[in-house]
Amino acid sequence: MTDTIVPPPAPPSEGVATNVIPGSGKQLAWYFLYGTVGLVAIILVLGYLQQEFTVGNINQAAVDYETNSINLVLSEEPPQLDSGTATDSVSGMLLGHVMEGLLRYNANDELIPGIAHDWEVSEQAARFHLREDAFWSDGTPVTAHDFVFAWRRALAVETASQYAFIMYPIKNAEKVNRGELPTEELGVTAVSDYELEIQLERPTPFFASLTAFTTFFPINEAFYKTRGDNYATNAEDLIFNGPFSMVHWAHDASVRLEKNPYYWNKDAVRLDAINFGYILRDSEARLRLFESGAIVFAGIAAENLDKALEKRWLIKEHNSGAVYFTEINHRPERLTANWNLRRALQLVNDPVELVNKVVKIPGFQPGESIFPTWIKGVDGYFRDEYPMKEHVPNPVLAREHLAKAMEELNLTSPPTLTLLSGDNPTSNKQSEYFQAHWRKHLGIEIRIDRQIFKQRLAKMQSGDFDLVLAGWAPDYDDGLTFGDLFASWNENNRGRYVSEYVDKNVRIAQNSTDPRERMEAFNKVQHRIYDDVAIILNYESGSLYVIDERVGGVSRRVIGADPDYAFAYLIDEES
Amino acid sequence: MTDQSLSFKPISIEQDAEVLTRPSRSYWEDAWYRLCQNRRALASLFIVIFMVLFAIAGPWVWTKDPAVQNLDQTSVPPWANRAYEIAEPYTPMVSPPPARTSTATNQIDEITVLGEATSIFVRLQWSIVPNASGYQIYRNIVETLPEYPPGVPLARIRGANETFYEDRLDLRPRTYWYSIVPIDDDGEELGPLSTLEVDVAPSTTIDDAEKRGWLDPDKTYQPGDTVYSPFAPLGTDYLGRDLLARLMYGARVSLFIGVIAPFLFVVMGILYGSIAGFIGGNLDAVLMRFADFVVALPFLLFMILFKLAFGVDSESSGIIAMLIALVLLSWPATARLVRGQILQIREEGYVSASRLLGTPTHWLIARHMIPNTLGVILVTFTFAVPSTIFTEAFLSFIGMGVEPPTPSWGSMCNDGRKTMETTPHELIFPAIFISITVLAFNILGDGLRDALDARMRAAE
Repeated sequence: MTDTIVPPPAPPSEGVATNVIPGSGKQLAWYFLYGTVGLVAIILVLGYLQQEFTVGNINQAAVDYETNSINLVLSEEPPQLDSGTATDSVSGMLLGHVMEGLLRYNANDELIPGIAHDWEVSEQAARFHLREDAFWSDGTPVTAHDFVFAWRRALAVETASQYAFIMYPIKNAEKVNRGELPTEELGVTAVSDYELEIQLERPTPFFASLTAFTTFFPINEAFYKTRGDNYATNAEDLIFNGPFSMVHWAHDASVRLEKNPYYWNKDAVRLDAINFGYILRDSEARLRLFESGAIVFAGIAAENLDKALEKRWLIKEHNSGAVYFTEINHRPERLTANWNLRRALQLVNDPVELVNKVVKIPGFQPGESIFPTWIKGVDGYFRDEYPMKEHVPNPVLAREHLAKAMEELNLTSPPTLTLLSGDNPTSNKQSEYFQAHWRKHLGIEIRIDRQIFKQRLAKMQSGDFDLVLAGWAPDYDDGLTFGDLFASWNENNRGRYVSEYVDKNVRIAQNSTDPRERMEAFNKVQHRIYDDVAIILNYESGSLYVIDERVGGVSRRVIGADPDYAFAYLIDEES
Repeated sequence: MTDQSLSFKPISIEQDAEVLTRPSRSYWEDAWYRLCQNRRALASLFIVIFMVLFAIAGPWVWTKDPAVQNLDQTSVPPWANRAYEIAEPYTPMVSPPPARTSTATNQIDEITVLGEATSIFVRLQWSIVPNASGYQIYRNIVETLPEYPPGVPLARIRGANETFYEDRLDLRPRTYWYSIVPIDDDGEELGPLSTLEVDVAPSTTIDDAEKRGWLDPDKTYQPGDTVYSPFAPLGTDYLGRDLLARLMYGARVSLFIGVIAPFLFVVMGILYGSIAGFIGGNLDAVLMRFADFVVALPFLLFMILFKLAFGVDSESSGIIAMLIALVLLSWPATARLVRGQILQIREEGYVSASRLLGTPTHWLIARHMIPNTLGVILVTFTFAVPSTIFTEAFLSFIGMGVEPPTPSWGSMCNDGRKTMETTPHELIFPAIFISITVLAFNILGDGLRDALDARMRAAE
């Protein structure tokens, strides 16, 4: 064979498009590579920057064994952390960790010694013996004078504390609060640095339990004077006598608590730090943080329940003991001052449907009375001994009342009312439910005014609403914590409901020591509040939550700081 | 070379030198022709027309009220079963039959369902564990297995002989696993769980069915009859509202704001820009600096403040407030564009020629200025529409948009987001509508730009 002629390379086959530039595939691959490398570089740089700029490395993992700390989320920015004027549960929870009153509650909701190691309560007076090893976080001792100062301040007219009424069992407290007597006349005296004597206005069997409440916490007078109006507005403007001290408070972002080395019982505190790395109003977002392992505790809303079940998380229940209701504005210039209109709204209200079809969380109970089912009566539970009459929704009767109301108010069509509500998914859902419910049955249009917590409290206080979705959590273990809520003098009676009959019975319950007489009075109050439609009851709350299984010792409680992480601890990984 | 046939001949004079083979077309006819050639743009145009019909005519066809709640049919997907059996009216069970005693001391050995398990109630009874001080009941939607937590704690019952529980909490027609365990005084569980699988049948009472409007008023119903809950082609939301009806009304809000707001701010921008451009000089400088100032306003902050100022007392569920804010903040872009165009055209040769020939100003504006800027303006408008729809959806998503119960696509996405893992249809449908509409408007705008731009024509 001679040399064969090598055939020329075959021309490109017919199928290949002829307008493709040769080598463009390779070029595309290079572009792709450049793009990927660039993207990775950007991600790395951003990640580094994020680490670098995160304040105090606040967004840590849920459980940090190295620093012996846990990470949590707050549901709201605390409006303020002044123990004399705080009203909301977020502030109460934080203050319960950084402050301590004369007494405190343990994990089983029993009263145990706090700053006071010993106490006696008689019909006319109470006496507390303070421990001498209790110090403020600046090293000065906690003395009886700090309590006298704090209590006088809370009752002073200028302070305008909405919780002043809780101190009314103290002699002259009410008169001091009204400005009729100088604060020095308050029946509280520091017998010595470590002995506090209280004169009582009337026999108050539950007085000891009151002293665990926020408003009764001490305030260091010398420190307070150095801060003046700025007191409690920042972490630096507070000092602490509780298990933890607040080292960092970035408003609307995060709060950090660290173990207080001056706390008298510091050996019982096992965590070194509690980090509230986030403030998120959206329960869904909070649950997502839990899912990603960023926080140790999260509540479960109805929307998330199925997801939590499918993920097979350990779900726990807590009876939070609060009563939720639609508070009504009784100020005379409001349409809702009309009883027939209120009655119409009440008559179509269906708490059973609300609980089973809207709230959809176990542990909730349809609201029947302002007194929740766990309040104690004479021997057993109050609500078993004095049952409330049954509430049967009756749209037909409701429309008759509405017609009467329209006649009395000279209206030609059903009125439009403003419903003030919180700005979170749960409130949004419920407010939309009520909006549709009242429109369907009564033709009443509801305008929903969504406000964040602070703003909602301010609007409730100034009376800028017709209806508001509100709730009340108990402050101490006695029916009076709910019973006096709608007394005319109570600052938390946001709708300014005034009834001499209720006032009279609240006085009886306050002044009497006979349980039967007090329960009779409570019974009259609960029925009058229903008959007058002072409020419309919605439900008694329960709650579901998930908690990291590596954390122990977290107490849930009805009264006081909830949840309470003060004596929580990390469960060792090994065991 | 004497062939006569190759010699030159004069052509006849009647023959035309040139013939126009295509009919002459005006600017707009040509634009329309070019748009029709662009298949993507044409498809987008049809989608836009469909969306407009969906919003305007949709609620006439699908006449369901988007605000009516149906608490028995919350968050159901489109394919959910709608048949409900009518049950006897609900009466609480006063005295359940006596229960037998368990043989084990720390575990319940039998759980029974009293009567039928329906979506009205599930009545459970179990055997007594004498040394228990109560029982803890759990409910699960996935099969309860020993190695996993037993589900949601439903109730805690006090008393060893209290062995009856009625569950009415949000029962849906599906399978549940109920677990019961005896507990001691401190609530500690005494022994292993006992689990019962329960299939819940869809059922309703006559009263409830009537309240929800499921009954045909001409018929009489007996227990045992079947009624159908309203057909929801796209499922329902978290309060049982019809998703299709809400999407239609949401389309009204989204498209209304998406079209009216750009129209208003484009008109405002044309007036402002043409005044600045045509008059020029110091006035131009002052006007354009003011436009720069408006551009510098932070949009979201302004929006929030504006909403606060408007308050909740606006009758239009926040739509008008949003409209005004959008117009007040968005006009400068158009104004700048129009001013630039006018400045350019003012100096063109044909305008000068026209002016030299004595054309009055109004004719100059009507014949030369406006037609030559209109293409640009139209393109600006079509691009402004999707971005405004997007802005509206975004504002509603973060809760700064329309007030409830008025639906808007953005607020529906926000509602659906919460349950996107368990009932994704609540998020997916409004999200699809936003995406498709915005995409269609964008592609249409793209096509219009190509069709209207004279310079592009020269390139062909």
